Amino acid sequence: MYYLGIDIGSLTCDAVLIDDNEKILASSVVPTGARNHEAITRATDEVLRSACISEKEVTATVSTGYGRKRVEGRLTAVTEITCHARGIKALLPGTHLLIDIGGQDSKAIELDENGQVVDFAMNDKCAAGTGRFLDAMARALQVDIDVMSELDNGAHGDLTISSMCTVFAESEVVSLIAEGVKVNEIVHGLNRSIASRTLSLIKRIIPDIIGFPIAMSGGVARNSGVVRAISNALENKVAIPPMPDTVGALGAALIARERYSHN
Amino acid sequence: MMLQYFENLESGINNAIKENPESASARKRYTIEIARLGKRLYSDTDRKAWAGALVPFDLLNTMGVTSCYAEFMASVLVSTDIGMELLENAEQTGYASDTCGYHRAIIGAAHKCLMPIPEFLISTTSPCTGGQAVLENLARLFKRDLFVIHIPQDESDQSVNFLADQIEDMVEFVANHTGSPLDKNKQCKAIENTNKAREVMSDVYNLAKQVPSPANGRDLSNFGIVMPLFFGTEAAVEIAQFYRDEFKSRINANNSGVPGESLRLMWLQNRIQFKNTLVKMLESEYKAAIVIDELNDITWDPIDPNDPYVGLARRSISSPLHGTAKRRIKHIIELAEAYRIDGAINPCHWGCRQGTGARGLIDSSMKEIGVPVLNLEVDCVDRRNFAEGQLITRIEAFMEMIESHPSPWKK
Repeated sequence: MYYLGIDIGSLTCDAVLIDDNEKILASSVVPTGARNHEAITRATDEVLRSACISEKEVTATVSTGYGRKRVEGRLTAVTEITCHARGIKALLPGTHLLIDIGGQDSKAIELDENGQVVDFAMNDKCAAGTGRFLDAMARALQVDIDVMSELDNGAHGDLTISSMCTVFAESEVVSLIAEGVKVNEIVHGLNRSIASRTLSLIKRIIPDIIGFPIAMSGGVARNSGVVRAISNALENKVAIPPMPDTVGALGAALIARERYSHN
Repeated sequence: MMLQYFENLESGINNAIKENPESASARKRYTIEIARLGKRLYSDTDRKAWAGALVPFDLLNTMGVTSCYAEFMASVLVSTDIGMELLENAEQTGYASDTCGYHRAIIGAAHKCLMPIPEFLISTTSPCTGGQAVLENLARLFKRDLFVIHIPQDESDQSVNFLADQIEDMVEFVANHTGSPLDKNKQCKAIENTNKAREVMSDVYNLAKQVPSPANGRDLSNFGIVMPLFFGTEAAVEIAQFYRDEFKSRINANNSGVPGESLRLMWLQNRIQFKNTLVKMLESEYKAAIVIDELNDITWDPIDPNDPYVGLARRSISSPLHGTAKRRIKHIIELAEAYRIDGAINPCHWGCRQGTGARGLIDSSMKEIGVPVLNLEVDCVDRRNFAEGQLITRIEAFMEMIESHPSPWKK
């Protein structure tokens, strides 16, 4: 039997297919774009094709992400908080704090010894400090988002981008470039800003995090510069699972298997 | 326009009850009384006053003054078609868009001539300094006298007497403006009504504590904060009796407020005042009942009808939103235990000290008794700031989290 998890985020739509032994058979990440249904179909087709499985052979599907209720034929829809927690439990068991930074949400999720969510906090009011924020900053710096993660190499300054409104921060970055501040120092400053914002989120739910196993998921976890900055701010190592952007979809697939077996 | 609104509200409910007498719920009776109050406020005949939330409305009702606290009118105004226009209007007059929406709505309505001009105003320095400033603004705008009641922060005898003296002065202030001194016999009768309403409301709350609760998430919404407007009148007693009868009848018929009640929730501070789907979603998808609102409680003793000022002062000081965070948290925990709740939702109303100032302390204290708290960041009044999808994700995640853990009361 096969179980499909689909995570429809604001930037990417991710799919993970697992078998009855919880083995990952295939995964896919496609841009969500403006049309959710097309992205869902494309991500699903990619994992089915990769695993040589037909749609009819999928036993159960669980959806997550902001577009979770738009997936037809799902067994159920589960929030990304629960799905990321379930996914990280499978990939990095023993994680006590999970940081998930996606396209428009950043979350701090506290887990108990069984990997269950005991508390969480999410960004409110604005999406500064998330994937879309980094996209905008990469545009302002005129660099590719994929290379941005290493652009802070050699920076040691204490520059912090003071405004965390994406539009204002973009203006600030442009001003810094005009002032001749080096790109690596600006990127370092941006990473520190995201780390500071993430730390505030974490401290709301776990005031003292020293020594706790910490992991990070979501697309921004691929950005090693941001991860370094968060790790420094936490004074703690942050573990990154393989394919951090599909942790939510994996969690959804695992929940599909559990719920189907339970029913 | 607002007079028409309240007339339509009253007649609409009355017609619905006429067509289907079985639909005459306590909530509808309560709403009819609110509509009647609104009609009186917008009539040309009644003496009117705008007031602070902790003013003893029993005395104003006795003295023939129709009054209400301005935030109540704000919650009505924002549920009308022009609500957002009023908020925009307040911002155009200089109110920042992230200040309290209740106060922005009032200021916007006043500038649009939608707030009836009162004979005078009476403010209370607590629970909200923003509210105090709004009444000062209104007093200036309407060129009317403002009487300020300073509410002390503690319940010492000295503080109570200080407040009792001010209440007595307030009575004199009102009498000077209306030309009619307080009739002691009427006052005695009014306080007896207040005590009776208190007793029946206490019964209502005790019934709501039952597991499963006869209350659903809408029955007692805004109840504890609005009922004081009717204190001193027979209407207050009747409304409470309707609720008591309805809850008793549901319990006798084995009907819970939310069929199949699975989770019990507390709502902190005030509800979201404009139409939204959150409560319905909690009930239909999670069988979760909001069984208790923080302000739905009796925190005061019966008042001596022959010497009421000390008792009225004690009642004002005992408000859960008044005083230290420590006292407020103690009250929240008592409610959590009494109602056996699985989780609490704090809307953290934008720009509000009560909503956000103590949220970390509330979280950690509730965690100690095993009750998680969901902090939202909602403008309870301004739906332009309402990101429903984002809020639903947070609430659903919270419900998934609660469902995956045993109830703190079953360990």
